Amino acid sequence: MSLRIYAIAYLVFLYAPIVLLPIFAFNDATIIAFPLSGFTTDWFGELMTNRSLHTAVKNSLFIAVMTAVLSTLLGICAARAGAMYHFPVKAGIMGFIMLPLVLPEIIVAVSLLVVVVQIFDMGLSNWTIIAAHVLICTPFCIAILNGAFQNLDPSLEEAAMDLGESRFSAFRLVTLPLVMPGIISSMLIAFTISLDEFIIAFFLSGTSQTMPVYIWGLMRFPASLPVVMALGTIMVALSIILLTIAELLRRRGMARAGVKDKGGFL
Amino acid sequence: MTALITLKGVNKYYGDYHALRDIDLTINTGEFFSLLGPSGCGKTTLLRTIAGLEDVSDGVVMIGGKDMRGVSANLRPTNMVFQSYAIFPHLSVAENVAFGLRKRTDLNKDDKAKMVEDALAMVGLSGYGKRASHALSGGQRQRVALARALILKPKVLLLDEPLSALDKKMREQMQVELIRLQRHVGITFILVTHDQEEALVMSDRIAVMFEGEIGQLADPETLYRRPNSRRVAEFIGKMNFLRADVLQVGDTIDVDVAGLGRVSVNAEQAPMALHKGAAVAGVRPETLAILFAGETTERKLIDGVVDEVVYYGDMTYYDVRIAGVDQPLNIAMKNLIGRPVLDVGTRTKVVWDERSLVILA
Repeated sequence: MSLRIYAIAYLVFLYAPIVLLPIFAFNDATIIAFPLSGFTTDWFGELMTNRSLHTAVKNSLFIAVMTAVLSTLLGICAARAGAMYHFPVKAGIMGFIMLPLVLPEIIVAVSLLVVVVQIFDMGLSNWTIIAAHVLICTPFCIAILNGAFQNLDPSLEEAAMDLGESRFSAFRLVTLPLVMPGIISSMLIAFTISLDEFIIAFFLSGTSQTMPVYIWGLMRFPASLPVVMALGTIMVALSIILLTIAELLRRRGMARAGVKDKGGFL
Repeated sequence: MTALITLKGVNKYYGDYHALRDIDLTINTGEFFSLLGPSGCGKTTLLRTIAGLEDVSDGVVMIGGKDMRGVSANLRPTNMVFQSYAIFPHLSVAENVAFGLRKRTDLNKDDKAKMVEDALAMVGLSGYGKRASHALSGGQRQRVALARALILKPKVLLLDEPLSALDKKMREQMQVELIRLQRHVGITFILVTHDQEEALVMSDRIAVMFEGEIGQLADPETLYRRPNSRRVAEFIGKMNFLRADVLQVGDTIDVDVAGLGRVSVNAEQAPMALHKGAAVAGVRPETLAILFAGETTERKLIDGVVDEVVYYGDMTYYDVRIAGVDQPLNIAMKNLIGRPVLDVGTRTKVVWDERSLVILA
């Protein structure tokens, strides 16, 4: 019984702040406080007309899409190698690739800042953020794609080759369709992680800001808080939708490969 | 009989591990050939080097007179049935079977559909084309894998433990079907198996492999009756081993066998080169017999005591102790009419014949 109370309290603690987002996003008052004063969609309207916000959103979308594509490509290579081949110090190498998963983001951000600015003497741009985001997203992609590749019978590609296909077309005709749900799921996760990542983007962004960095800037002006709430609401909704699609695709991939679900991220 | 596949001095290393050791082998056209051995003996590796899925570290693989060095699996005149069957789960049965025809631009859609239907009919799956492949049973998957490989009319069909995933009844049925199919299509079959009974039932010739080497290459009967080493004799069927002392080697061989006494056997019964001194004599359980009450024999008899009885329905296996031998003799008796199942401790007479002995160094 006490465990149940604990569990409920835990969930409330986790999600109550998020529930506040949509509530105040539709509240007709600039001050974030109960009681609610009335319903409005003005804050969402304001989002539509804000130029600098639009630039930030565009930046974020570009970074997130590139991150999703690049980290998934790297993830495919690593997951396929991990599932199908045996090579020396494989465990060590795979461990190293997964390390950014537990590395504090601030360390990644600061060290990359030093590398880019001090050592290479390059300017900061969207691409420096993409590089850093690929670094932190790739382990997630590998974790998802591992499931897709490890459930794959290695004989399948061999059978395709034995039946006359080259190594590449065997991959394209057999492996790719079977792991496609995993690939899409991996891209969606990487996209979501990159889209709302703040610390790295804050350290590595040049003249143009990403959306989370822009929101952080808005926080200095109490009057713009409801707008932030509205933006937050949209982002939460988007994240939930994307993660749901990712999980559904992952499960479909499992079913297609004819294996039992062994649990995933959600 | 013409040689279709020739392997000369084939070696395969995985790092320090020597998986295949100096394999020399010739497989003939139209032959049902088996590679038999315990797991890890290199039989699957050998099959995969023929398929082109594995490179040889050293040596030559020739198929149809052509050196296969540098020829990848997709360009070799071989097709394979994988142990897992490797049915493409995202394709239907017909799409699986037609997979190898993708590159055949000389055939139109109708030709291909006809070929697929014929291939499915050949393996007894007429009308299954539209089924989803993940909804098939183990036996059906195996048939699809066979049809998919045979539709390309390869010179050689390679089968990697194709029956190991099936239950006993299904396995026995598929053994007969595979033999019939091989005779029907006339293609050389190479079967990899760890099941000695399966190899004996199906093959024209069998290569028994141990630790990357071929221990013996022979037809099933020779392999069973005249194994050329103790490990082959142990691996194929059951065999009793008795200490033996070779007294004289000549046209016939004189041996003193523990428990049985001094016998003289002909040269055929000694497949290995023998020298005077210690050796072993092997004798199969079914070539020994228990003399039941009322039965007579002109063969040699020896006194024994029943030590263990295992009843199989059609057969009873007895372990019988005889004087001068540590291990009891395993004897297989058909349960014919009038033969009781003896109790442990029964005094009995064992019938034996020196013609059934094999003398091994």
